Amino acid sequence: MDLQFLILIVLAVAAAIFSVLTAIVVVIRKTIDRNRAKTQARLYQFYAARCSELLLTDLPPLPADSKPSSIFLQYESLIEPTKRSLAGMVATRRQVHREALQQVLVDFAQDISGDSSRRLVYFFYTLGFVDDELRLMRSRRWWIRANAARTLGLLGAKKAIAALTASLEDPHPDVRHQAMQSLVKLVGPDALRTILRISKNLSRWTAIELSVVVSGFKGTAVPFLIEALRSRDQSVVLFATEMLAEIGLVTAVEPLMHLIRTTIDTTIQAQSLKTLGRLGDERARNLVVELLKSKVQPVRLSAMEALGKIGGSEAVEMLKPWLASRLQEEKLVAARALATTGVEGIAVLRAAGAHNDELSAAIADQVLEEFGVEREEA
Amino acid sequence: MPYTILVAEDQQHVRSLIEYKLRNSGFVVVAVEDGNAALQKAEEIIPDLVLLDVMMPLMTGFEVLGALKKNQKTKDIPILMLTAQSKEDEVLKGLELGADDYITKPFSPNELAARVKTVLLRRGKK
Repeated sequence: MDLQFLILIVLAVAAAIFSVLTAIVVVIRKTIDRNRAKTQARLYQFYAARCSELLLTDLPPLPADSKPSSIFLQYESLIEPTKRSLAGMVATRRQVHREALQQVLVDFAQDISGDSSRRLVYFFYTLGFVDDELRLMRSRRWWIRANAARTLGLLGAKKAIAALTASLEDPHPDVRHQAMQSLVKLVGPDALRTILRISKNLSRWTAIELSVVVSGFKGTAVPFLIEALRSRDQSVVLFATEMLAEIGLVTAVEPLMHLIRTTIDTTIQAQSLKTLGRLGDERARNLVVELLKSKVQPVRLSAMEALGKIGGSEAVEMLKPWLASRLQEEKLVAARALATTGVEGIAVLRAAGAHNDELSAAIADQVLEEFGVEREEA
Repeated sequence: MPYTILVAEDQQHVRSLIEYKLRNSGFVVVAVEDGNAALQKAEEIIPDLVLLDVMMPLMTGFEVLGALKKNQKTKDIPILMLTAQSKEDEVLKGLELGADDYITKPFSPNELAARVKTVLLRRGKK
């Protein structure tokens, strides 16, 4: 009995000691974290002011016959005291300072342009941050690789182009996405060739982001998009056809027609037909008409849609029989395509509303309403 | 007498950069880091121009702008807005609320100083 009591007392004391020790550790940890955060904030403030000065200090004008590299000597003279100060610190302190300085430079890179941003790029190189980020691109953690890819692009690190290109094949989509964005920043429209050649399984998100980039390049992106029509990856081809339709240059018509004739992928055929429709070029008419007879329904439907957009009397005549199709979806797509052709197609729909079977009449009425047209001619 | 510019910007690095640039351009700069402080300071010192970031904690740049324009003491102070790039709706909203001009991020510090001078000149401050 006494022994059991003794064991209980010992356990209670041990639990109390454990609780007290845990509380002490938590307090110490919180104090350390708070102090670290305060130090980081203080250092950030210090380097923000220091870098403002470095980025904006007026430099004496260079003589007319000076070498292009002379500007870098001037930049180096600005950053030299900071480098010397960092070199004089013990390793752990230097690391904390370098982290704060790097964060400030990265933040500046997002918010400033003009001459100051060129100085920023130089400082980033000369302080060794580009090499640091390149090392981080080999990290086992994907978020570190993604962040490094983003930083290298932000800071205009042309030295990183090869590493970023390799990251287009990274197993993680976020890393691929950041590498793509950075390459576009560093290389310009030419980066699209590499991006579209290497990319595989473009996610919806990446495709949206990439479409923003491509839209910005407008016509200059077209040759790269046409080249991408030869990709073996379906997502890349579909992306390229979609973007060719968005940009709307008719130089894409022949390559798209060639793609439709040579591919066995009916999804690509259907999408390319839609693009041909959006481009509205006469040259595509015969091919589109031919594919109205395709055995694959999505291809037939896309051909109808495209023919409606290319338009003309011939299109109306070719589309009219589809209103009598047994399939409701074909009736609907044909009706919409007829409405798209204009006055003649609308006349056909009005007539269908009066004479055809009940379902065709209902679809014709629905489409006329969608297009904001009266059922009867005024 | 140098002109006083009130800078309201929550990001430390941008605030430092603007302060440095405008001081070097001959202005007196008072910098604050949120919308509330901007409103209080503007009423207290009646600056010659307010440079307002749109995205700020506590009160957005638009809210500060609206409040400044409603206040008899501050309604005539020229306002320059600092907005995120390609946000046309932000630019339009600022101009509709009475801002005199805007500058988009990323910005060139030299351009910023030039815009400040132009707004002051336009308002007959220089």
